[in-house]
Parts: sequence; structure tokens; C-alpha cells
Amino acid sequence: MDITAREVMDTRYSTLSPRMTIGEAFQVFQKAGEVHRQIVFGMVVTDAAGQLLGMLSMYDILLLIRPKHIHIWGEIKDVEVEGILDEALRRARSMLVSDIMTTDLTTITPDMHLLRIIDIMIKKHVRRLPVLEEGKMVGMVYLSRVFQHLLERGSA
Amino acid sequence: MRVSSRQNIMKDLTVKEAMRRLIINLTAEATLEEAIRYAVKYKVNAILITGADQAAVGVVTKTDLMGAYYAGLPLSTPAASIMVGPPLFCHLDDSLDTALDSMRTHKIHRLYVREEAAAPVVGVLAYPDIVGLLYRYCHQCDKNLRRDTGDSEDLLADRVLLKEVMTPGVFALGVNDSLLQVMEGLAAHKFGALLITGEDGAPAGVISKTDLILAYQHQTPPEAPAHTVMTRRVEACDYNDILVNALRRMIFADVSRLFVYRESPRNIVGVFSLSDATRFRSGTCRACVSSRIRPH
Repeated sequence: MDITAREVMDTRYSTLSPRMTIGEAFQVFQKAGEVHRQIVFGMVVTDAAGQLLGMLSMYDILLLIRPKHIHIWGEIKDVEVEGILDEALRRARSMLVSDIMTTDLTTITPDMHLLRIIDIMIKKHVRRLPVLEEGKMVGMVYLSRVFQHLLERGSA
Repeated sequence: MRVSSRQNIMKDLTVKEAMRRLIINLTAEATLEEAIRYAVKYKVNAILITGADQAAVGVVTKTDLMGAYYAGLPLSTPAASIMVGPPLFCHLDDSLDTALDSMRTHKIHRLYVREEAAAPVVGVLAYPDIVGLLYRYCHQCDKNLRRDTGDSEDLLADRVLLKEVMTPGVFALGVNDSLLQVMEGLAAHKFGALLITGEDGAPAGVISKTDLILAYQHQTPPEAPAHTVMTRRVEACDYNDILVNALRRMIFADVSRLFVYRESPRNIVGVFSLSDATRFRSGTCRACVSSRIRPH
């Protein structure tokens, strides 16, 4: 039997709200990690009606934390760095999720074949794909889950 | 690492040694809202707009986005409708001297880099990219002041005082002045950020172009008072502080300019920006013409 998104998607996933601060999003990431017993690297952003608005990934947060003049830091000897990470986190915490989320998303439908999902993940360099049915979000397909499925099927 | 043996270090260095290779770009269909998000997320002042064939067709800067806020354009407006284009280009192997001449002549802050005409963009060169490079080469240069004086420990930037390189004078608005007035002030003085003072005249905060485009994205009315969006921390250094401390402060605070005070933090007397930082060799060494890279 061929496998589609429906068979490999997670129907339990945490979401963020666009007006949440990044500080609040940090807490949701941590809590989601405890629930799913693994580090969560990205989360969808939805409005009150559950409509998909965007995605906040680990990369978005890393970009926010990285100092804009880090290339100059690399050239200057003995730059005082004590406290610089906490300072970067202090600034990041007050930003809103909607300020930095990624809105240019690729989505899939529940009936999409696993090999097509793999193709999208390779071409678009994405680790997670929201699954939409009639415009409504019904699940998430994670790269790790896809790979786990391949391992199980390949070693059977 | 190569050390310049020529008289003019800017002629000896090429664009590819200073440019950034990460190009932040959006397609012509992208909205102003997306352009704001990109400018904030990637911490850049300009976004390259590309056409269907990936060709660079224009540039949208934070100043353009601020202008759209001032004009009351909807956030759903295509970024292409406010872009300035086509962008100006330089080549990978151009000397920094040539590239800086082009930036000065056209009164622009950045050039996009191509290997050859009609080739895809491979990098971007802006004034802050040159600061770190200058710092590295100046400290290796035989004509460096610290070597002239036989002092092998102190760096030149440890000797130059902020008051020697800052831009004197400051324009400030009050906490109850509107964002429209702030935008007018920024545009009229060509500043990247404005000092906001309290009712007692003391520095109360700062509004940068980033603060304004975020206010735009949050749909804050442009008639709102300055205190509603200002950053309530004025990053400042003492007039007599050394240059390297100011650079450290900028990196720590993740800002592109510092206010400079004399005797008391209440008494702001000037502004120090990264482009000012490129002047730190002026008058101290004939090997470099770095004073030329001050933008106009």
C-alpha cells in the first residue's frame, strides 16, 4: 500500500499566535519539547480561527539573536563579550512572532504521496510541512517522521 | 594574510574581499509587509527586488518603507511599487576605491556585486562591511601609527577619541511629538535614528527606522506620540571615550549608531555611526584615504 501524508502526519502539534512575544514563544517551544519528548525546531503560527499564517523556525530565532555587526566583532581584539548573549535575548524577547515569522510557506494535502513529500523537502530544504485539507490545517509532516517510516519499511 | 604594500590600501583591496555574500531578496510580487519582515529578520537596510528571471530590478530600503508608512500605503501594496531601480552594480574584482567612488558619486549606501554585466548578483557591498576590513588592514599596515611610535601593544582605535570622529550636533523631538514628525525629522536630516527627549529635556528614548517600520507593520497610527514606539534606552558613550569602546558598545547593543554625551548623559552633543568609524585613521596616516568613504 502506498503511503500518503495522512499516514505520516502528526495531528497533535503546538501552535503560536502572531501577537505572542518571542519570549512567550520560547516557553511554548520548551513546553512542546517536553510534551513531544524531543526538541521542537519549528512551529506553525495560526490565528484565533486556526487559519495558518506562518511558521516560526529555529533559523528565524537564530537570525534575530545574531548581532548585525558580528563581522566587525571578528576583527576587533578583546571585545568585551560578557553578557552579550543575555543582552541579545533580552532584545529578542520583546519582539512579536509576526515580526519575524516566515510567511512564504509550502503546504501539502493529506493525499500527497510520500515520495512527492520527500521531493518537496529536498528541493525546498524544509524539515516540516503543514498539511491542509480544504484550507484548514489538519496535521504536520516532519522530516524525522518520514525518515523513521523509511527505516521501518526498509528494514522489514 | 596579505598586507598592502601600495600607498592606497583601498586600491589594493577588491570588492570580493569586503562584500557580504548573503543577498536578501524578494520577488516583485512581495508586499510591503513581507519587505518589513525581511528587513527586521535579516537586520538589513535594503532588500533587493528580483524579477521573474531572478534579474535584479530594484531596491527597497527602510527609508522607502518609512515613506510608505508616512504616505499611508496599505501593507498589502507590492514592494515593487515603491522600489528604486534598477540597482547600481559593481564587479567582484573592482577595487574598493572604485566601488566607493561610485557610491559617493551616486550618493548611495550600497552596491550589488556581479561577476559580469547581466550575470546574477553574488554579493552586496555597504559601508559597515568595510569597517571590519579597514580595521584588519590598518593594524597590519607598516605605516600604522602604533608602529610609528614604537608602541606594539596599543591599537590605533585605542587612542582615537570619540569626539574626534563623531558627527557633532543632535536633532531631537519630544515624547509627545507624533511619529509623522519623527519621520519628517529623519527624512530632513538623513538620520537613521532620532533622539527623543522627555518633558524635562533629558534623553528619554530613541526611534530608529526599524522601530518605525515595525510600528507600520503593527498598524500603529502615524499620528501616535513618539513615546508609544520609542526604545526606552539611549545607547550612548562619553565624548572623551576611546573609539574602540564605542565599537564594542555598538556590537553589544546591536545598534548602528551611538549618541555621544559630554560630562553628563543628559547632555547629548553628537552622534557616532559606523560610517564615522571608518574615519578613525584620518589625519594619522597617509597610507589610507579612508576619509573618502564617509557617505554624503
